[in-house]
Parts: sequence; structure tokens; C-alpha cells
Amino acid sequence: MVVGDIATGTDVLVIGAGPGGYVAAIRAGQLDLDVTLVEKDAYGGTCLNHGCIPSKALITATGVAHEAANAEEMGIHADPAVDMGGMVEWKDGVVDQLTGGVEKLCKANGVNLVEGRAEFADGNTARVAHGGEGQGSESIEFEHAVVATGSRPIEIPGFEFDGEHVLSSREALSLDSVPDSLVIVGGGYIGMELAGVFAKLGTDVTVVEMLDEALTGFSDDLAKPVIDNMEELGVEIRLGEAASEWHETGDGISVTTETEDGEETGHDCEKVLVAVGRQPVTDTLNLEAIGLEPDDGGFLATDDRARTDVGNVFAVGDVAGEPMLAHTGMAEGQVAAEVIAGEPAALDHQAIPAAVFTEPEIGTVGMTPEEAEEAGFEPAVGEMPFRASGRALTTGHTEGFVRIVADAESGFVLGGQIVGPEASELIAEIGLAIELGATLEDVAATIHTHPTLSEAVNEAAENALGHAIHTLNR
Amino acid sequence: MVREFKLPDVGEGVAEGEIVRWLVEEGEEVSEDQPVAEVETDKAVVEVPSPVNGSVKEILAEEGEVVPVGNVIVTFEVEGEAGTESGEDEEPTESQEQVSEEPADIGGEPAITEADDDAGADAEPETPSGRVFAPPHVRRLARELGVEIGSVEGSGPSGRVTEGDVREAAESDDDEESKGPKQFDTELKSATRKRGEDREEGEAAEPADRERTLAAPATRKLAEDEGVDLNRVPATEERDGEAFVTPEAVREYAEAQREAQAADAEALAATGREGEREERDEREERVPYRGIRRTIGTQMANSKFTAPHVTHHDTAEVEGLVGARADLKARAEEQGTRLTYMPFVMKAIVAALQEYPELNASLDEEAGEIVRKNYYNVGIAVATDAGLMVPVVKNVDEKGLLQLAEEVEELAGKARDRSISREEMQGGTFTITNFGAIGGEYATPIINHPEVAILGLGELAERPVAENGEVKAAHTLPLSLSIDHRVVDGAEAAGFTNRVMEYLENPLLLLLD
Repeated sequence: MVVGDIATGTDVLVIGAGPGGYVAAIRAGQLDLDVTLVEKDAYGGTCLNHGCIPSKALITATGVAHEAANAEEMGIHADPAVDMGGMVEWKDGVVDQLTGGVEKLCKANGVNLVEGRAEFADGNTARVAHGGEGQGSESIEFEHAVVATGSRPIEIPGFEFDGEHVLSSREALSLDSVPDSLVIVGGGYIGMELAGVFAKLGTDVTVVEMLDEALTGFSDDLAKPVIDNMEELGVEIRLGEAASEWHETGDGISVTTETEDGEETGHDCEKVLVAVGRQPVTDTLNLEAIGLEPDDGGFLATDDRARTDVGNVFAVGDVAGEPMLAHTGMAEGQVAAEVIAGEPAALDHQAIPAAVFTEPEIGTVGMTPEEAEEAGFEPAVGEMPFRASGRALTTGHTEGFVRIVADAESGFVLGGQIVGPEASELIAEIGLAIELGATLEDVAATIHTHPTLSEAVNEAAENALGHAIHTLNR
Repeated sequence: MVREFKLPDVGEGVAEGEIVRWLVEEGEEVSEDQPVAEVETDKAVVEVPSPVNGSVKEILAEEGEVVPVGNVIVTFEVEGEAGTESGEDEEPTESQEQVSEEPADIGGEPAITEADDDAGADAEPETPSGRVFAPPHVRRLARELGVEIGSVEGSGPSGRVTEGDVREAAESDDDEESKGPKQFDTELKSATRKRGEDREEGEAAEPADRERTLAAPATRKLAEDEGVDLNRVPATEERDGEAFVTPEAVREYAEAQREAQAADAEALAATGREGEREERDEREERVPYRGIRRTIGTQMANSKFTAPHVTHHDTAEVEGLVGARADLKARAEEQGTRLTYMPFVMKAIVAALQEYPELNASLDEEAGEIVRKNYYNVGIAVATDAGLMVPVVKNVDEKGLLQLAEEVEELAGKARDRSISREEMQGGTFTITNFGAIGGEYATPIINHPEVAILGLGELAERPVAENGEVKAAHTLPLSLSIDHRVVDGAEAAGFTNRVMEYLENPLLLLLD
């Protein structure tokens, strides 16, 4: 401690105000704990400021423009003009509203907000360096700490983010004009979502992916409708190519890619967006001071109570390892706060849903048929293609399907995979079924509103039971 | 169709209830809302009504049995609906199964028909990879009660674990603990016995010793989780000429090992413990500490160790009161009311409380606020066979002596025959305990927390009183006022008692209000 420095005491110090951190802080506040939340940048973290929310805002906005321009079949003839500046301004408004909301909620729940970058000094003290010149620093003594510092985009050698030519997803979401051409390095979900956004804005998009497939982690039948649609939008997907370097040309840049055989290709473009994944931010915390060591990937190991190896230090969100999803962080944040307050909370969720906001969307939760089999179940599988859904036909989006996976013997729902319109929303029903221990019969016998897309979930369950009405039974 | 009836949550936070008495028999016709059983919880005795018109099919809990909330206690055969016993009817649909109007179905799970139940018994509740099917609120309850959810056998559809299952497991865990060394889940044991052949309890299956064993990855994981060496598990099948072990075999082997260990431990402890128990049985009687007795105990301890008690004693000379009551008693009797001293004391207390509102209060510790009540609900402690109960006479300030006398008598009667409802024991702002009715002068009454004061009445009797240097015999009433010293100070306690005494000594003063 600095001489003359008086430490502020708190029950719970939360480092990072992203979805994991602010949820932990608010919940701890609700449980009558004294909470201090330290944020170095902006309330809401990556999710609200540079990730989920801005990307979904732009996905929606570009989707509106694209739909309008391509609705001749419905008798609509339009030629929408996109004002990129206006679109970004609207997106920023959404973000501001949400981040302001988070700040208000924190205050309303009695959370002390401190701006600055926190690092550990010892097992019960952290120092917070305030931003800006002459702002100084302060010490905070804590009973418990919750590390929620999130993650940052990974840079690849030779492609340091400069905000001008080489962009991270964060910068790509804040462009004030539409680039003519864009190379996206990485065919994962972030790369594919952004490829859709820019392709719909008229950018000439090339996705280069080092592996032999895009959207790894999703089975072929889920990825295929997305990739087909990308190609229809004019996106060029180049598999088995790794970005090796870039250089400026007269009117832009050229990105060089290399195949495993050493074959090089130059891709001329205006900008390059690197979206090859994210890494946890644990290197700024001075973890040595509390005797905590991250694993090789930089993650902090936690138990089912969100505790690290150091008893009074918890880790939630991206720093606590895969899956790096905002809703996982929120669940972990809540558990950490409740455990600190002495409540019997634990992370014993049966399944964590995931969604990709491409067109069509992908939603997954729980086990695939293969995973169920591997776990020792005899899977009962039911499917419903959206082309047989009345509501899907009326939306003009009939690609994709709903699949439900259950244990044939007991009927318990084990998982679901959806690719198609509103998959990100629809997957929640299967998640609920898994969590409640519902059976196929339960889902099948639940009356769903007609005409809606959710009927497809009901129909898939019927299909698994062998008595689907609107599709042929398997 | 068969409807199951689960023990409802008959009161806030009630986790279990004792079946005091069945009011119906198997085969008896019942109508909706007809009481079928008396259940004693830790709050009161309540009657549980039938949710349906029909007949009692099976009574599943014995009188005297303590049943966790959510457990099925009785099944009804409901007229006019498809029966399931014939076996010819179709399986009931989900909507038929759902007992939507039934208040007792607190978990919201579909009620199970007999047909389902049977199916459930055939279908093994265990699932591959140790997966347990239970909704989040049940998982949380398990953590709260310290129950390992993986060890609970589910009674819900297809073996889903319900709230009742977890409560039952917690209960049986408690029993196990009180008996001695913790043993393994009895439910699990019985489930295994259905499959296990004619093995004697405690006899471990003969271990196999192989060098190589084939098994699916999930089975290997199961063996690891169970702490079992796969090479020692007797193989049930062969694949490619090699021993192949199924998950079933691993579970059975693990269970047998556990049983053997438990039997060993039991044998070691048995001799000494048995002798001890026999000796104790002759000289002691053990009565379960539960129900109302336990509630009284918890309340008393909570009050005593939360509120710092101070008791102020004094004696009122009550010739005036005795005279007034004597004058009015005959009139009251003409109107069919037995007038005791209690209504006078209640009126005196309320008049004094109006001047000392800090005694008609409670402390909201959470909000950090003293809550002063501008209404006067006086609790009267009544000794019953089951223990102390405190019926509450509401709005004493608005009632006359006769009405108070009638209400006190009615409520005390209900408390004694245990027909009193929870509502009639709630909402008190101040309590009187009349230990003098049994005999005695002074005591330290325990405050009916979260109230902040209680007045104990000693025996109203003739005692020597000194007056102007002479000793004379006079009727006196000893008073013992306990206060929560966090909220009420000694000076206020004395002031309040003085005012009560003044009213008791001159009951005419009550007419001035």
C-alpha cells in the first residue's frame, strides 16, 4: 500500500462491468452485500459496447435493407439507400441506452461504481489506477473478489490492429462508411456474422479460413444452409487458406494467404478484418500477488461455484473459460454472488444454448444425436423442416429445420439443433425442456400458437414420437 | 381415472406434516372439498380437503407418519373418467394427466396415473453418464438440504426427481445420521435389489480379476466415477472372445461393494450399541420433538436470543376490579356470558398501550425500523395438551367486555381442542400470559417475538397489604412485564405497568376513554 493511502473496504470487489461482472455486482447488492464494481472502459463490457448488441443491431438494420430490396416476390419493389453514418448512430443509441441502463441498475442496487483498471496487491487488497493524467489510484480492501475482465480479440502475427487497414470486430462495428471490399480472416461465427452484414451493405467480401471448413463446431447440416446463403449473397469463402501478410497497394491493401502446400494467393481489398477468436484478459490483474495462475490459454480454472483455486476469489464470464458467451457469464455472475452471500447456488445447468446470427440463424442446445449416443443414450431424433411450416412460408424464409434429440427409453429431451428463421429465439424452448426434465411427450402435447415458427419445435417432438401430422414420420 | 393427491404446502414455509387422523377410509365416496385428513404441521392442525368428487382408492400414509410436502398421501378414483386399470384404455394424454385445478400439486408436475407408475418401475430410473433429470428448483432444494441429487431416486414421470423426492431423501439422510455412521441411500439400495438376483444383503459380488476388459467409454467413465476397477467387475457379456462389461454390471458391483462395507461397519458397531439401546429403553421414554412442540421451542429460543429481555415486576391492589367484576358477573351470566377478569385486564392494557405506543410495536430488523401498531390485537397464551398456543383477539379497543369475554372463551376452546386456524393465531401486537390461573406470583415471560412486550399475570388472591401502618388482607394481582430492551426502556416499562395498575385498581377510569 502506498504510504498515506487509505483503503476503502468492501464485501465484494467485482472487476469488470460486462455481463458477468455487472450481474454479479447487482445480485450481490440485492443480497445486501457491500459491492464495489470497477470498470476501466464502459459499463456493459464487450457484449453491450463492442460485441453482441452492436453486431445484432447492424445485422438487423442491414437485414431490413436487404429484405426490402429483395422482396419482389412479395410484390414489393424498393431500392433502399443505406446511410452508414445514420445506421451506426442508431446502433450507438441502442448501445448507450443499454449501458446507461446497466449503470442505473447498479446504482439502484447499491453498487459502488469505480472507474479504473484494477489489479491485485495481495489476497485482500486491490489497487485501482484511474484513467487520465493526475487521476491517481486507490486501494480497495475486499472480502471476496470476482474477476470478470472478459476477453479481447486475438491478433495474428503480421496483422496488428491499426483501426485503418487491419480491423478487429470492435472497429468493424464502428465504421462510418461502407468499405468497397473486405477480407475477413476467420470463418468462425463472428467472421460469418460480419460477412453477412457487409455483404448486405454491398461490400465485396472474401472470407479466408485456415481450416477445411467454416463454422467449425457446428455439424455440416447446420452450417450448410448458412454457407449456401453466404455464397448467394456473393461472399467468397476460401477454405484451407491462412493469412500470412498484407501490404498496401496504390488504392488499398493486398492480403496474402497461403495453403498448406505453400501456394500463395493475393486478395486485393480496402480493409482486412481479423476475427480468429478471443483470448481472456487475465494478464493485467497481477494475479501473482494472490498466488493464482491462469492455464496455458490464459483462463482461470473454476469449480461449480465459480470459485478459483484461491478461496475468496471468483472468476466469471470469458476469463473462466469456454464457452465464452455472455449468457454463460451472466449465469456465473449470479452464482458467484449468491455463493458469496452464503446461498446454496451452483452452476449445475444441464445445457447452455448458443446462437449464431447469420442468415439463416443457428441455435443449438444440449446434445446432438451423436453426443447423446456417445454418452450412452439411445437417441430418439425428430425433425421438422421449415419448408413445411406455414409461418416460415409467410416470412419468405423456409430454409433449415428444427431437430430435437431425446432419450428413446425415458423420453427426456437431451438437446436440439435449429437452423432457420429465428433459430436463436426458438432454441430457448428446447433449453427449457432440457432444464425441466421434460419429455418428448411433454413438448408434443404442449399446444403451440398457430401460425408460428415455434410449431416446428412441437412438430419435431411429434416426429420423434412417430406421429407428426405435417411431415412424413421417420 | 386415478388422481394422486400430494400433501399440499398448508402454510408458509411448511416442509412436512404429520398425518394426525384419516377422516375417510379406502373405498369411501368423497366429494370435492370434503376434509379427508387432519394434518399437523409445525404451525397448526389443519384439515386437508379432497380436490375431487370420487372415491378413496388408496391411503398411502399412516396416521402418525410425518410426510414431506409434495409426497402423494392418497389416491382417488374419479368417476366418469376413463379408468386405467383395465389396461385396455389408451394411455392418458398429457392434458388428462394434468391436475390443473388441484391446489396440492405444488410442483406443477403432471400427476402420475397408475399406468405410468408401473411403467416407471419397469423403466430404470438410472440414466447413462450419471445424468439426473430434475428441474432447477429441485436441484436448488437438494443443495439447500444437503442432498446429493444423483443419489435420489425420482418418482416423477420416467424417473424425474421431484421436490418431494428430495425432501424425502433429506429426511431419510437425517434418520441415517441420527442412527450412527452414515449409510448409503436406502432408496438406491432397493432399486438395485429389484435387479440384483438373490444376493444376501451385505454380501459383495464375487469380484472378477481380469487383465483386459471391454466396455463402452461411458461405462469406463461410470466405473471411474464409482471408484470401481473395471477388471474386477463380473462380465455379463463377451465380445470378440473378451469380457464385456455393461453399465448395469458396474452399478451392481459398486452397490454390492458399498453394501458389504456398510454391513461391516454395522457389524462392528452393533454389539455395544444394541446393549446400550436396550438399557436405555427400560428407563427412558423418547418422544419425538416435532410439530407444535418444536415450533414453540424454536420460537422461544429465537425470542430469547434475539431480544434482550428485561422483566419488570409489580403488584396491583385490585379490590376495585374484584368489586366491578362481581357487580357485572351476574348481568353477564343473564346474557349467557361468563365474565372473567381477563377482559378487564385486556381493556386496561389497551388503554395503557395507547399512552405507551412503544410497547405495541415490533422491530423490523431488516428494514432497521420500529413498527408502531395503531391497532390492538392482544394474544392470550393458552396451555393446551399439545403445548402453548397463542390465539389473538383482534381490535380489542373496539370491543366491549362481553364481546371480549366471549371471544377469549371461544378462541381458548378452539386452541385446546386444536381446531384453531393459523389466521386466528396471527397478527398479534401484544401478548398476555396468565400463569396465575395455575398458581404462582411472578415469572419471566418470554416475549412473543417480534412483538416487544408481554405481560404475565400472577394469581389474583388475597394477600397482606400494608396501609397507613396497618396490615390488612386485600386482593392483589402480581404483574410481570417482559420487554425487548432494544426497543423499550425500563422507565417506559415501569410507566406502562403503573398505568395498567391504575386501571385495574380503578376500572371506572376505563369508562373515561
